[in-house]
Amino acid sequence: MSAPAARAFLPALRQLDRRLPVPVPHRVRILRELEYDLEELEVQLLARGLPAEEARRMALEALLPDGVTLDELARVHAPLYQRLTRHLPGERLRLLERSALALAATSVLLGETWVLLQARLLGSPSPFLWPVLSLGALLGATVLARVFQLCIKGGPTAGTGGAGGILGLSAAVLLLAVVGTTVDLHRFAALLERSPERATALILPWLVREASLLSVAILLALAGGLTWFLLTQWLVSIREAHRRVLGESIETAPERR
Amino acid sequence: MTETDFDVQGFARDINELLVLSSLQAGPKHGYQIALDVETDSQGLFRFRHGTLYPILHRLEEGGLVRGSWSGEGGRRRKVYALTAVGRRHLSGETDRVQEIVSRLLALLRGPGEATA
Repeated sequence: MSAPAARAFLPALRQLDRRLPVPVPHRVRILRELEYDLEELEVQLLARGLPAEEARRMALEALLPDGVTLDELARVHAPLYQRLTRHLPGERLRLLERSALALAATSVLLGETWVLLQARLLGSPSPFLWPVLSLGALLGATVLARVFQLCIKGGPTAGTGGAGGILGLSAAVLLLAVVGTTVDLHRFAALLERSPERATALILPWLVREASLLSVAILLALAGGLTWFLLTQWLVSIREAHRRVLGESIETAPERR
Repeated sequence: MTETDFDVQGFARDINELLVLSSLQAGPKHGYQIALDVETDSQGLFRFRHGTLYPILHRLEEGGLVRGSWSGEGGRRRKVYALTAVGRRHLSGETDRVQEIVSRLLALLRGPGEATA
């Protein structure tokens, strides 16, 4: 990228950025390619003896996309999902997407249950295990929806955020498990007060039950947290590339954060 | 080619793609260089204006006919396009097709007397 002082085509690029209806990663690549070509074509035209203003105007006329070309670029860079579903009516597509999401959430819940059954941890589970698993299924569905939205359906736009929901749900899963274990502990203590002679028989199953509740919650929260981190880093890197190509520092473009 | 599958608008688009592929036969180039070379080599007959070059290049890249690669030089990122083996074969086949179309068009325009003369 050339130094900002020499970037004479920035106003044209910024204008183009606002009009180019393609996902930001594609837009960044197009703008970067175009900027280099504009500058180099201008240099070539100057070398042919054209005045600076004329060289710049001719470079822009040759390479800066007009409305028809922008539409064509949008078609070429449309995400595969959009191309495949272009002919489906909007309402039907939304219904299909929501059904797929509900199916994904159910699959996550069934998957979690199957894993716990395989590990024989559902014999006498904590009453908080099912809410934790359900919240985990919601977390899984949120992750899938976000990844689908960002990576398959349309890619991020400049204003895309929303990965915070994944972090919030991850924290909620962990919090629910901690609260559940605390409540279970109080109930277990009350039980032991009433029948202390059963302590030896009860304590090991109780420990296994609570350990499985906490383990499931920690695993779910970790998976959610890791996904949040990766998505956030990806979005940050895309936005920074976008700012760089448009000559904006993070400090000069707070509205885009 | 059958008599019914010829599409004039599609043919115009194909010509633009072939001009790009043809320009890349000389070696890898940047977008602006392709535009300049096409204009120079055709003595100004063909010109890419209003950025029409980019959808063509990106479509060819998606189709595997050209390969785009980024390189850095002094902190600047630039994209260079090179013709692939698939692109080379496509260009060869399409050149024959264009030749056939143009021959038939010329024969039609010149009329039966001219064609046999």
